[in-house]
Amino acid sequence: MTNNSLKLLQERIDSVIRGKQGAVKMAIVTLLGRGHLLIEDVPGVGKTTLAFTLAKATNCSFQRIQFTSDMMPTDIIGVSIYNPDTKNFEFKEGPIFANIVLADEINRTGPKTQSALLEAMNERRVSIDRKTHTLPEPFMVIATQNPIEYHGTFPLPESQIDRFMMHIKLGYPGYEDEKSALLGQSSLDFLENMQPVITGDEILKMQREVDGVRVDDSLLDYLMAIITETRKNEKIRLGASTRGAQFLLKAAKANAFYEGRDYVVPGDIKDLAPTVLGHRLILKARTSIYDAEVIMKEILERISVPV
Amino acid sequence: MPRSYKLLTALLAFTGCVGLVITGALNPLMLIAGAGLIPGYIRFWRGMPALSKWTIGGLSTATLFLFVIDALIITGDIFIAVAHLTIAFQAIKSFDLKEPWDHLQVYFMSLLQLIIASELTRSLAFGLIFIIFLIALVAAMVISHFLKEGAIRKVRLRGPVITISILTLVVTGIFFISAPRVKGGLWGKSRAQNIKTVGFSEKVDFGSYGDVKLDSTIVMRIETSKNALQPFYWRGRTLNYFDGISWLDTIKTRTGIQKQGNTFIIIPVLPENALTQKIFLEPLDSEIIFGLGTIAKVEIDSRTMFVDHAGSVFTPEKSARRLAYTVHSTLDEPLSDEDAFHYRQFPPDLKRLPELASEITKGADTTLKKALKIEDYLKSNYKYSLKTSPPQSGVNPIEDFLFNSKQGYCEHYATAMALMLRAAGTPSRIVTGFLEGEKNKYGGYIIVRQSDAHSWVEAVIDGKWKKFDPTPPAPIPEMPSQVSLYLDYLKMKWYRYVVNFSSSDQKRLIDYISMPFLKMPEMPDIKVCGVRMLAYALVILSSSTMLFFLLRRFRIYRYGFVTVKYLKFRNFLKRKGANIKRSSTPSDVMKEAARLGLGDKAADFIALYERARFGGRGMNEEEKKKYKYKYRTL
Repeated sequence: MTNNSLKLLQERIDSVIRGKQGAVKMAIVTLLGRGHLLIEDVPGVGKTTLAFTLAKATNCSFQRIQFTSDMMPTDIIGVSIYNPDTKNFEFKEGPIFANIVLADEINRTGPKTQSALLEAMNERRVSIDRKTHTLPEPFMVIATQNPIEYHGTFPLPESQIDRFMMHIKLGYPGYEDEKSALLGQSSLDFLENMQPVITGDEILKMQREVDGVRVDDSLLDYLMAIITETRKNEKIRLGASTRGAQFLLKAAKANAFYEGRDYVVPGDIKDLAPTVLGHRLILKARTSIYDAEVIMKEILERISVPV
Repeated sequence: MPRSYKLLTALLAFTGCVGLVITGALNPLMLIAGAGLIPGYIRFWRGMPALSKWTIGGLSTATLFLFVIDALIITGDIFIAVAHLTIAFQAIKSFDLKEPWDHLQVYFMSLLQLIIASELTRSLAFGLIFIIFLIALVAAMVISHFLKEGAIRKVRLRGPVITISILTLVVTGIFFISAPRVKGGLWGKSRAQNIKTVGFSEKVDFGSYGDVKLDSTIVMRIETSKNALQPFYWRGRTLNYFDGISWLDTIKTRTGIQKQGNTFIIIPVLPENALTQKIFLEPLDSEIIFGLGTIAKVEIDSRTMFVDHAGSVFTPEKSARRLAYTVHSTLDEPLSDEDAFHYRQFPPDLKRLPELASEITKGADTTLKKALKIEDYLKSNYKYSLKTSPPQSGVNPIEDFLFNSKQGYCEHYATAMALMLRAAGTPSRIVTGFLEGEKNKYGGYIIVRQSDAHSWVEAVIDGKWKKFDPTPPAPIPEMPSQVSLYLDYLKMKWYRYVVNFSSSDQKRLIDYISMPFLKMPEMPDIKVCGVRMLAYALVILSSSTMLFFLLRRFRIYRYGFVTVKYLKFRNFLKRKGANIKRSSTPSDVMKEAARLGLGDKAADFIALYERARFGGRGMNEEEKKKYKYKYRTL
């Protein structure tokens, strides 16, 4: 059922990052839904590899930004430099001018720099010196974040975290997959020589097709019921935003497209709701984001699916 | 589970039990069992869990055991025993309400209870309970239907429930008014208890009226024509032979009455001053038909009727139903036989009575004057009292009344006069019936009670039977309260227009409706016969089938064909033990199906469903066929 070129894409990435089919699929769905992805996990489980492989396989330009505590906004979006020859300020593009941007350890930098990135993510353009520079299409940010319990981190504020379509975690690979990863060839060389299976233009075309995926009215009601329930639930202090609802709909459409359908089914919404909405919820008890997903699942069990 | 649904189930259970209890035919101990419903439904309302399987099973077994004993020994009547059983089961069930199926059982038992109750009573209260039951049942069925489909949240229930309830009532009303009338109860004989009366059998023991005179049970209600004037003597039967202790009917001649339509004609030519009475007779343990004076014609729903030598009219058997009939009668005195041989018998051991009789009638030259003298003597020299003590041994009770106690009630007076007339050579007989009755000002009809039972004398004067009443006036009884009179008025309306809604009423109604437009042909009187019964059955069957298909249509219209099949499949999996909830998506359902080993087929089926339902395209005929095929193979 899966769309053929997307199937190839998935297989290609799976061959690099073994045993992470779910996470890879989420990354592709996010790309199709014009969203951004937030990966939260301990260092060294393949977050960077995932982003890099995705860029390589889709023949997209790739930039990696390693966030540090002393980073400035201009380090991301670029800076205007005075050119003595032309006697003009010329804009020098920062690393954000790429199709796929890996914002590594986003919570290591301060809020000022974080917000510069997140504004760019939201508007898909940057403004410097009253001049607007459009970012390339497709554009997707894959941000990674160490769990907040780690030292030296600035947790993302709620308004910022809301801008990511999905929040996933990778986790350690399974025993067999990890063993074969040890035996496998040095991944960097392999990645450099990887052949793309799809082009950026094709991705853009698919993104437009995703917009045309049909959503039955009853499913919109179902989605609204989920959103409303997160706002009413007694364990949740702050429920999902309207942006959250929009993202869930987009993600569901992208998921349907990924599965080779031009219509959304209840399963699209129900399966994606925890990943799309989980990180947006602020719980009454101070617990980790994963608890939010548990509560999301509880909520989903209470809402009847349209028939 | 919505609260309204819980409430309706409780209501239905209670209407069934209350409907049975108000018949008064059950063992009062069953009230205790019935009270078990209260804690049961309180628990249910609060959402407490059902009792364990073992408790329920044990209780049910014990109840069944008790039922057998009850049917064989305690009540000895399987019908009443079943009624007891249903109450006990209702009480047990109230502690065991889990599945929708349990609720259906409650409804079914309530229906059974009401059917049983309908055979035991025809009271107004039962009618009200039945209407409540009907409305609640419809509402509960509608809610359970939507509950089953998992659509309870989406559907605003109040609208449909009220509409369907009103529709049901209207349809029932139309059906009631227009359906052909069937004689007799559902199982032929009703089991309603007949009122015990005295005075209307072939043998009446002297002194048996005393208890009856204290009984205020209503015997009949009567609407009279305007020309009927008081005093009303509702004549029953006559007795001719006094053996010293009892009055007997030794003549026993009964002949069938000529019938025309539903009218039985005794006197072909009605006199001009004939009186008309419409009588609603409670089920009595007697076959007598009452009327003012001599009955000339009776309109009654019966195959045959009989009349005896004295003009008393009888139905062929004791009626277990309330009888409604119209009597045309005359107060003209009937002619007597030449010698009236049967009315001259005199018990030989009465010695003092003839002496007294000749003493009283001394100086009177005509039989009429003699009779009036006796009547006047008894009226003025004796006291009316219901408190009579049995006579000393060896003393005849009638002589005890005349010479010792000098107080008594109608029986004493009538017997004394009849015997004195006979002693004086005048043929006479005792008449039993009712006197007067009270007028209900709300309905304008007359209520006759057991306490109005009366007996008087008829004697042959100049070749005609003339009525005499030697009993002095009884003290005026307490007037019943206004409320009870009004209630009785409502009851009368219920009997008149609901219970006794007859084919002639239908005719009248149709005439009334069609009067301004056209003259409808006379509706033939409908009798119970095999072909017609079959026709009714067919009508009922076909209309219910139609209703069923309409409901199905409605369901398909609401959900669409595709969804109905999907829901059926879901229910099927559920029955197979799949973990499917309202929050299960089609893909969840598919996973469950795969777990049950239906993986591939289910996947295709569900993919078809999803595409048709959410793809916005529906299905073409070919896909429908495929879909149906997949469903069937599953």
